[in-house]
Amino acid sequence: MNDWLDLAALGRVLVASLVAGAGLVAVFSLALVGLSAGKVIGRAGAGVCLLVVVAGVVLGLHVMLQK
Amino acid sequence: MDVGGVLLVVVVVTALSFDFTNGVHDTANAMATSIATGALRPKVAVGLSAVLNFAGAFLSLKVAATIATGIVETGAITLTVVFAGLIGGLAWNLLTWYFGIPSSSSHALIGGVVGATLIAAGASAVKGKELVSHVLIPAVLAPLTAIVVATLGTFLVYVITRRVPEGIRSRGFRLGQIGSASLVSLAHGTNDAQKTMGVITLALITGGVIRPDAGVPFWVIVASATSISLGTYLGGWRVIRTLGKGLTEIETPQGFAAESSSAAVIFSSSHFGFPLSTTQVCAGSVIGAGLGKRLAEVRWGVAARMGVAWLITLPAAALVGALAWASANGIGGSLGVLTVFCVSAMLSGGLYLLSRRAPVNAGNVNDKWTAKERSA
Repeated sequence: MNDWLDLAALGRVLVASLVAGAGLVAVFSLALVGLSAGKVIGRAGAGVCLLVVVAGVVLGLHVMLQK
Repeated sequence: MDVGGVLLVVVVVTALSFDFTNGVHDTANAMATSIATGALRPKVAVGLSAVLNFAGAFLSLKVAATIATGIVETGAITLTVVFAGLIGGLAWNLLTWYFGIPSSSSHALIGGVVGATLIAAGASAVKGKELVSHVLIPAVLAPLTAIVVATLGTFLVYVITRRVPEGIRSRGFRLGQIGSASLVSLAHGTNDAQKTMGVITLALITGGVIRPDAGVPFWVIVASATSISLGTYLGGWRVIRTLGKGLTEIETPQGFAAESSSAAVIFSSSHFGFPLSTTQVCAGSVIGAGLGKRLAEVRWGVAARMGVAWLITLPAAALVGALAWASANGIGGSLGVLTVFCVSAMLSGGLYLLSRRAPVNAGNVNDKWTAKERSA
């Protein structure tokens, strides 16, 4: 850890933010692609994607409540 | 009522007023993009945000009974310093609200306390290194982190859904945006209402009303939650307009990416103990949402004005905090604190009346960004 800046914590924030902020956004977008496909496989894939997003949100809430 | 009692009441009222302005100022963080894209009607958006801020205030109650933790020596913090610090934070919040500039309420409060401490206890009571490492460096990193995340998120959103029919895309992202904006509101209520709870609890302990090991009184939780959610419901339309319309023209996918980026950065920074300002994160996310979409325009003039405001938040709030402490101390006793409080209330009223000359409200918050505003 630098005296002025906790680089390790910053790195963790950046990685977690990218995974949750850009990764889950991408997964949600894939869900919309699946829904628009109009096929069963597409809808099933969309369901899985939405479950991943919901799990991410629940994890976020859990983290917040643990503070 | 004795002198200590009067001072205590004034500090509690000032803390709740600061909490109110915090709500007014920060409604934009969660709801500006949802209002701009039409995902939610303006009044519905601020109503939802108010309810979630209220609920958020009850979710976590591990309140630190300190203020500006680690930045000023705790021994230097008296009730008058807390009062003056709150006045400094309040003044900066109201001024930036008037000019429609998103600005961190936490930094304003820290600035106010630092200014009051400097003049009350001298420079040795302020930890300069901590001020730089805990406030100034994060103030630069917060928007940069959010810009990186939101730019990537926006880019992915547009690439992945480029063949999705507009109806499904628009409806889907609208729902997603409401969800992510709700998370930001909830996190805001949890984090920011607790600051006021901490200030009031500290004042009650200092005033001998409650024991140092006592928890936060229930009425303090209810009063803080009510105050921040009332401010949120009234809606800082001026700041909402700048964040939703001024920085860039936002479409629903961008709004979704921006709010998701904000929620992710706020939750991550809070979890990993690297606290970043909610306001600076949200503003960075909106800029990122503009950068991530090809050919979208980011109004760098507006962003620069915001950046300048962030740079002078600390010294400006510190100056007011120092002035408030010097005035209250100069007059002396409860009369001094009451005088500063009344003068501040009158100046705040005057600023409100001034704002009525060019009001921004739920009816015109989404109007086209004008040339006059561009040049302001």
